[in-house]
Amino acid sequence: MKRIAARSLYTLIVLLLSSIAVFYAIRLSGGDAVSARLPASASYEEREEFRELLGLNDPVHEQYFRYMGRLLTFDLGKSLTNNADIFDMLTEHGKNSLILGAAAFALVFVIGVPLGILAAVKRNSWADGSVMTFSVAGMAVPNFWLALLSVWLFASTLGWLPSAGCCSTKQLILPAVVLAMEGIALTVRMTRSAMLENLGQDFVRTLRAGGLSETSIVGKHVLRNAMVPIISLAGLRIGQIVGYALVVETIFGWPGLGQVLVNAVLRRDYPVAQFFSLVLIAIVVLSNWLADVGYTVANPRLRRT
Amino acid sequence: MSPDPAMNSDPAMNSDPTAAAANGAGRAPVLSVRNLHTAVATPDGSFDVVRDVSFDINPNEVLCLVGESGCGKTITALSIMRLLPTPPVRITSGEVVFDGTDLTQLPERRVRDVRSERISMIFQDPLTSLDPVFTVGQVMTEVIRTHRDVTKAAAREMSVDILRAVGLPAPAERFDSYPHELSGGMRQRVMIATALVLDPEILIADEPTTALDVTVQAQILERLRSEQQGRHMSMLLITHDLAVVASIADRVAVMYAGEIVEEAPVDELFADPRHPYTQGLLRALPHVSRKRRELVPIAGLVPPAQMMPPGCRFAPRCPHALERCWDEHPAYEKNHGVGLRCFNPQPF
Repeated sequence: MKRIAARSLYTLIVLLLSSIAVFYAIRLSGGDAVSARLPASASYEEREEFRELLGLNDPVHEQYFRYMGRLLTFDLGKSLTNNADIFDMLTEHGKNSLILGAAAFALVFVIGVPLGILAAVKRNSWADGSVMTFSVAGMAVPNFWLALLSVWLFASTLGWLPSAGCCSTKQLILPAVVLAMEGIALTVRMTRSAMLENLGQDFVRTLRAGGLSETSIVGKHVLRNAMVPIISLAGLRIGQIVGYALVVETIFGWPGLGQVLVNAVLRRDYPVAQFFSLVLIAIVVLSNWLADVGYTVANPRLRRT
Repeated sequence: MSPDPAMNSDPAMNSDPTAAAANGAGRAPVLSVRNLHTAVATPDGSFDVVRDVSFDINPNEVLCLVGESGCGKTITALSIMRLLPTPPVRITSGEVVFDGTDLTQLPERRVRDVRSERISMIFQDPLTSLDPVFTVGQVMTEVIRTHRDVTKAAAREMSVDILRAVGLPAPAERFDSYPHELSGGMRQRVMIATALVLDPEILIADEPTTALDVTVQAQILERLRSEQQGRHMSMLLITHDLAVVASIADRVAVMYAGEIVEEAPVDELFADPRHPYTQGLLRALPHVSRKRRELVPIAGLVPPAQMMPPGCRFAPRCPHALERCWDEHPAYEKNHGVGLRCFNPQPF
């Protein structure tokens, strides 16, 4: 429990520091938010007036505290490009991202863990060979290329699935699989090696001497031991999915947080870019915190320290 | 190989302590190992790590299998339990006759019914030998319920009873403990309790005290001995420690380089060892009563499995080796519970 409390405090500090970093980074990056909003013909006076209105001429730390105060009251302001309320954007696009991310996250484990178990149990067989080849390919292939390839194959050539759009189940399949691919590949490898490592442990022999079935030994005892590192790295998989979502959502035209962020950055829509960066960072940091909690729960040796 | 009532699984049938067969004569053995060969496959070919091993375990006796590390003691025990890491290690020939059946020929499913229910095994290192992410009670309950059709509550009761019987303090609380919360001695007691909870006919203990503190060693041995006698159980105890042998064994079989070289009742073996290897082991043992006797180590090393001499495997280290010991492999000859594999036995 102490461990979880310590990790929670650490997580809060990371969140705070990263919000400062994002805030400064957005202001340090070149380009002017004002030009995103005002026509190119606007005069210097008009621009200055607008900057003053947005508070951009105040010292950065003052802007930061003002912004954090507004964040706490859910008054997030509006997009500079289309005047949409940022909080509404979060709920609308967040829901889409959640669907895609959850689907990808589920695929990582629903496909990765069983394949890893199969490879470990049938070690050095053709099944193991094919699973590991698939795993190497999954890690080596960049996801944007995989995305384009899968669109070409399943949408353009075979016509089985739509190439883009939102939000039917059929439209979900391709982006979810592409988003999950690297996670699946890593999970397969980790599951296999963790299973093999634990299958070689002395306690397996003791359980066999107890007359337990191989199904229980492998499927319950060894798997449970092997899940400790897999659970502890599940949070990292979330972080990976969030990162890749920027690319995958853009390619598949999936209107999620990633797509919003990419567009906001391209259009210098700094309130949107700033807020959605913070949201994605928060997701990654919180998922790491969750992983720590999960690791502690999965590993009894850490529970009572 | 005729069925004997003592081999029946009904515990009431083998509860006759008067038959404690210290000399191995008189009653049919509970378990017979006959001409067991176990080989390990390596890139350079297959080598016997257990070669032509035969012994009987009699009702209610403690048979000790003694020898240096790597001499094949553990592999022999794992062969009986069919727990060999196959591949690369597998039984190549021989029989392990238990209750009229050859365990080496049983399908895996039927071997599982024997394990723990009728023949149990405990291991050397109690830390790594217990599943770290399940509680003591979860594993014990699973073992019980794999073999017996009982409720979880009944299994819990059985477990707590046996944990108490093997001397674990606060057994009801320990039932819900994880192995890392227990000391080495407590873990070994948990392993013993799990092995005994189904009241097996034979307990195989592979160096059960080697990984423990000396003070705890004596307690554990004492506990094993009293459980063995109280339950009229037979025990195969594997050790390299002759002090352990002296304190617990009824009969001793000495292994060298994968073979049994001598077998005798414990008093006879200590008083009058015949094989030069056994004699060497005893000379290397400090003795309280003979104060100023020098310890004599056995010269040389055990040959590696792929370089075994064609004759007697001990010949290169034997002070009494004859010409023929180098060329011919001595057969194992056994009469009236005393066995010897030597062309030139010496008086001690």
